[in-house]
Amino acid sequence: MPDSLTAPLPPSSQHTIGPFFPRTFFSAGDNDLTRLSATAAPSQRGETILLHGRVTREGGEPCVNSILEAWQADAGGHFRHPADPDHALADPDFLGWGRAWTDEDGWYSFRTLLPGGYADPAGPRAPHINLAVMGAGLMRRAQTVLFFPAFAPANAADPVMTLVPPGRRAHLLALEEAEKVEGLRRFRFDIRLRGTPEEETPFFDD
Amino acid sequence: MDLLTQPTLPKPGLLKPGQLKPGLAPDVFPPLAEGIEPAVPVPGYPNTWTHTPAQPLLRRPATRTEVAGPLDLWRKLPCDESNLAMPAPGRVAQGQLMHMSGRILDEDGRPVRGAVVELWQANAAGRYFHPIDQRAAPLDPNFVGNGRVRTDEEGRYAFFTIKPGAYPVPVKDTWWRPPHVHFSILGPSSLSRLVTQMYFPGDPMNEWDRILHSIHDPAARARLIARQTHPAEVGDGWLAFTHDIVLRGRHATPEA
Repeated sequence: MPDSLTAPLPPSSQHTIGPFFPRTFFSAGDNDLTRLSATAAPSQRGETILLHGRVTREGGEPCVNSILEAWQADAGGHFRHPADPDHALADPDFLGWGRAWTDEDGWYSFRTLLPGGYADPAGPRAPHINLAVMGAGLMRRAQTVLFFPAFAPANAADPVMTLVPPGRRAHLLALEEAEKVEGLRRFRFDIRLRGTPEEETPFFDD
Repeated sequence: MDLLTQPTLPKPGLLKPGQLKPGLAPDVFPPLAEGIEPAVPVPGYPNTWTHTPAQPLLRRPATRTEVAGPLDLWRKLPCDESNLAMPAPGRVAQGQLMHMSGRILDEDGRPVRGAVVELWQANAAGRYFHPIDQRAAPLDPNFVGNGRVRTDEEGRYAFFTIKPGAYPVPVKDTWWRPPHVHFSILGPSSLSRLVTQMYFPGDPMNEWDRILHSIHDPAARARLIARQTHPAEVGDGWLAFTHDIVLRGRHATPEA
């Protein structure tokens, strides 16, 4: 083990983001993952999709002003990051990150690309979107993963999906809505922060 | 230090795929020691009893998607707001002017370059400029109280702001939050994402704060408290505090 791994500094503790994360931090396009910035042209690769859903707490009450951050691979299953050995193949116009906040009824929305799956040393990863929820009453961010029902065989082999007890896996599947919006497929993904094992969204720790 | 000489980076460009050298981002994420993360739910903080997941968290391996993260986030999030105390020429926020600086480090003690650092806080009367904060304390027309910068080559950040006030938490058995500053840091990996708060040294209210004390390890709590430095270090007009923040993540390969 190299010397640099012998005397670590302990990481700083997480705290709640609280109820007052400034609205002024948000600007148009923050919840649009398909472009690098609000003024950049959108990615030309892959299928643009819409994603929306509600964040609720115990009892199904809406969470107001929750902050959601999304992170995902591009349409080809690549990340523009050194952790991806094939990062040179990544979409140069795709940021893969976006942030949204929930309205008074708990609704959030993102615009993104349908992500690609890829081979990972831990196992074959199905197409997925990482979602982190932060807000008042959450002392740490709550991390979950969204999968797509159309990739059932890949989902069944995914090394993160298979950590979830079978009875709770359906909570990680986004549902495609019957009607397209702006000509795009729209998916619904609700997040229940706290509830019974049957109600609660599965959350992950690293 | 002159007001205008704040750490800044050259105008950032988009990272080209060929520039994505190994070592640019941490790739090893040891499990956290006991007592570093908050113990939940938090007594006296009712929302933690209704929002905290009740089912055990599922421990997952760190695969590529968790280790990776957006490296050029400044394209989306403008990182040019460091002077919260003087929103425009001739306008000055009320309260004690404060220079807040420090470094963002990883667990190896290496500077995290180009990290996005977001800071927000209450005004000198302990009220946030936010529609949800309806407390009967004055708003300051010259203080919004949030800023965003990007760390320089040494991992440094700096803000010019004012010292925030304390405020009561509106719950049944009211308790007070000590003066504190919120930080949100977006580093080179999803696993190094950090949202935390910083406290001021020597404030007796720190010992009563329910949120700070949700961190059970006294050494971990102490790491959330800033250090005051001599005001002359930043110019005599400003109280000076310095605070280093450590993000998760180590490097399997030592730095060349």
